[in-house]
Amino acid sequence: MKNALWILALLLVFFVGDRLVGSLMLRQVDQSQFRYSRLYRSEAAAEVLLVGNSRGLTFYQPYIESVSGKSTFNLSYNGMPMDLAKALVQDYLDRYPAPERMVVDITTCDRENDQLLAGFVPYTRFSPRIDSLIGQKLAWVWWSSRLSHLFSVNNEVFQRALYYRKRSDEDWLLDRVINPELAKSHLDKPSSIGTNPYLTQQFKEMVAYAQSKNVKVELVIGPYYPGYNVVNLDKFKAELEQATNMQVRDYRAALTDPSGFGDLSHPNKNGSMTYIDLLRKDAVLP
Amino acid sequence: MVFNSLVFLVFIVLFFPLYFGTKGRLRMWVCLLASYLFYGWWDWRFLSLVVFSTVMDWWFGLLISYQDDREGTEQRFAQGSPVLRAFAPVTRAASSLQWSRGRVLAFSMVMNLGFLGLFKYFNFFAESFAELITFFGMKPNWHTLNIILPVGISFYTFQSMSYTIDVYRKEIKWEPSLLRFATFIAFFPQLVAGPIVRAVDFLPQMYEDKRFSWHNFNSGLGRVLWGFFKKVAIADSIAPFVDQVFDVPQAFSSSHLLLGVIFYSFQIYCDFSGYSDIAIGLARMLGYTFPENFRTPYFSTSFSEFWARWHISLSSWLRDYLYIPLGGSRHGKFNTYKNNMITMLLGGLWHGANWAFVFWGFLHGLYLILQRLVQPVWRGFVRTTGMPRWLDQGVAMLTVYALTLLAWVYFRAGSIGLMGGDSFGTANAVLGGIFSFQNFNFDSIVNKFQAMKGILLIVILLFIEVSNFYFRWNERQLDVPAWRVTGFAVLLWLIALFGTFGGSAFIYFQF
Repeated sequence: MKNALWILALLLVFFVGDRLVGSLMLRQVDQSQFRYSRLYRSEAAAEVLLVGNSRGLTFYQPYIESVSGKSTFNLSYNGMPMDLAKALVQDYLDRYPAPERMVVDITTCDRENDQLLAGFVPYTRFSPRIDSLIGQKLAWVWWSSRLSHLFSVNNEVFQRALYYRKRSDEDWLLDRVINPELAKSHLDKPSSIGTNPYLTQQFKEMVAYAQSKNVKVELVIGPYYPGYNVVNLDKFKAELEQATNMQVRDYRAALTDPSGFGDLSHPNKNGSMTYIDLLRKDAVLP
Repeated sequence: MVFNSLVFLVFIVLFFPLYFGTKGRLRMWVCLLASYLFYGWWDWRFLSLVVFSTVMDWWFGLLISYQDDREGTEQRFAQGSPVLRAFAPVTRAASSLQWSRGRVLAFSMVMNLGFLGLFKYFNFFAESFAELITFFGMKPNWHTLNIILPVGISFYTFQSMSYTIDVYRKEIKWEPSLLRFATFIAFFPQLVAGPIVRAVDFLPQMYEDKRFSWHNFNSGLGRVLWGFFKKVAIADSIAPFVDQVFDVPQAFSSSHLLLGVIFYSFQIYCDFSGYSDIAIGLARMLGYTFPENFRTPYFSTSFSEFWARWHISLSSWLRDYLYIPLGGSRHGKFNTYKNNMITMLLGGLWHGANWAFVFWGFLHGLYLILQRLVQPVWRGFVRTTGMPRWLDQGVAMLTVYALTLLAWVYFRAGSIGLMGGDSFGTANAVLGGIFSFQNFNFDSIVNKFQAMKGILLIVILLFIEVSNFYFRWNERQLDVPAWRVTGFAVLLWLIALFGTFGGSAFIYFQF
């Protein structure tokens, strides 16, 4: 029995260290300038709310704010799953005065993404919605994060929170120019996008929640590289228009200059600014 | 079943009390059935191959022994188990063919390599032959077979072949118990990805009465945790970055590609040596000693040293059963070079049925030959210039690492070839991209978070490995409880903080 005592000591040291270092790291998340930290710290009031996945990051905030004079808050994240987007939007609308408008890139409605959802564990302390979503969909992540606080910060979301601890994340954008040869080699490989009843329902509820708070909602499809074919985009768009009873503004072919893209699905900074000008011209953005 | 899965945790928790709660034959049965469950969890149908290979090689050992000592073996038949007695008639019948021992061995090699060839290389050679005759203007008219590669076939085939060869060489006595031999072949810690444990090292250990020992448990657990850290925290964390690089090399800058290749060198090292550490640790907890499979290979200052530190159980297998029988370095320079090259080419082919693996073997064969040619010149240069030892060693280490890195590109691309992709096209695109030096800066690296995490983990790995040279953490863990608690807690923290818990398979399963 004496020989086994060190195992008890190990468990004790592990848990004490885990709690100490974990708390220290979670405090960094709390104090970060990263968008979700600000959201839950009540420092994210804005007149324009922007929602999307990585394509939503092309709502380049510094430019929108400089040309419109309106404050913005962008909830977008690479690979944002639809159910998480809904939870974040609802959390935002519960905590802040209703923004003038909410602009949503509808291609966010194409996926669930459990890996990214697991990354939002550090925010479960502030959001019962995210807590319950992770608890339902990823029970092992939920339990593991209770067991180990270090596990709670074992994700890219934490790394970003750390990176943006003392700097703004508003210019987060894929800013490079796509290699034309690479683009050419991929143009003949069409991609597809799809939704399912669960995702569509989440999307519909998100839009309805915003409308119930008197927020003007604008649905858009952002630009793709010229000639890039997303085969079932029309069907996807029609399904969401039908679900929300709203019109989707389609900018998929709005940018014709290939140098305005970082890759086939993402405008770079120059492309984003041109896109934003078009959105403003059509009064989607102020 | 993979080590990094919840089901394995349940398996091992149930296995330990069963193992230490039994003795003798019953324990052997527990071990064998658990090992078959471990393997069959992946696909139970391929268990028949393991069983067939086991019975076949055990019987060939018996037959060779019968040729050597007919009277003694007959006595064993008379006194032995019913299983052994059941094999007596077929052994006598085979013996009446009057085959020499060498002929029996050759036949067993043909059978073993035939199985390996059928399951691992049939499509590869059929397709290569088809391409060759198409090149000469003929049209091949046959179809390849849809054969699934059984996990671990290369490992257990080599392991069981070594038994027959060692019995033939009289380095080990034939094993009268089929149960014991089957447990040796199927022993779950090393069944699917090594280390390739030889009968001469393992079978004698199976005669010992293994009792639970805290010494073994502590040192084994430490080794298991270290292996898990390397696998789930390092290898699996950097894998997505590497996958992107080899999926679309054209999409990335020169610096991104180079970092991807460096990451791959650590991914494969941590993945495979992590598996070996877990296997060695588990075996030690059960009272067995496995041979070491890796000894910080990237600190090698020559290629011969690299191969004495990388996948040691395979390289020593190839040395003892291929290189030396070919003549080794005994018959002049040309034959030495030839034997080096043949060994490395076949070593490459062992890894996978794709020419990129063969080319990887070719590069290492070439490195070994060049080393023999260049090393005397370099030694002379070092003596003449009075170059300090640290600089000499540093240059040698960096050169070996850089050339190993180059070869890894083809090795990784070989895995793409196994999936039906263009292995050489991918490897050339990666190397072409790196040597174009376009956008060779940190800014052009995409997904810097993954990159930074990978770099940090590699620094932690190197720090621990280098500090281990001086502080011998493993020995301290054993002797001083405070060190053990601290060391294990640090590993658990690192795993919790950096681990990727998807239960991903180990790279070497595909070989």
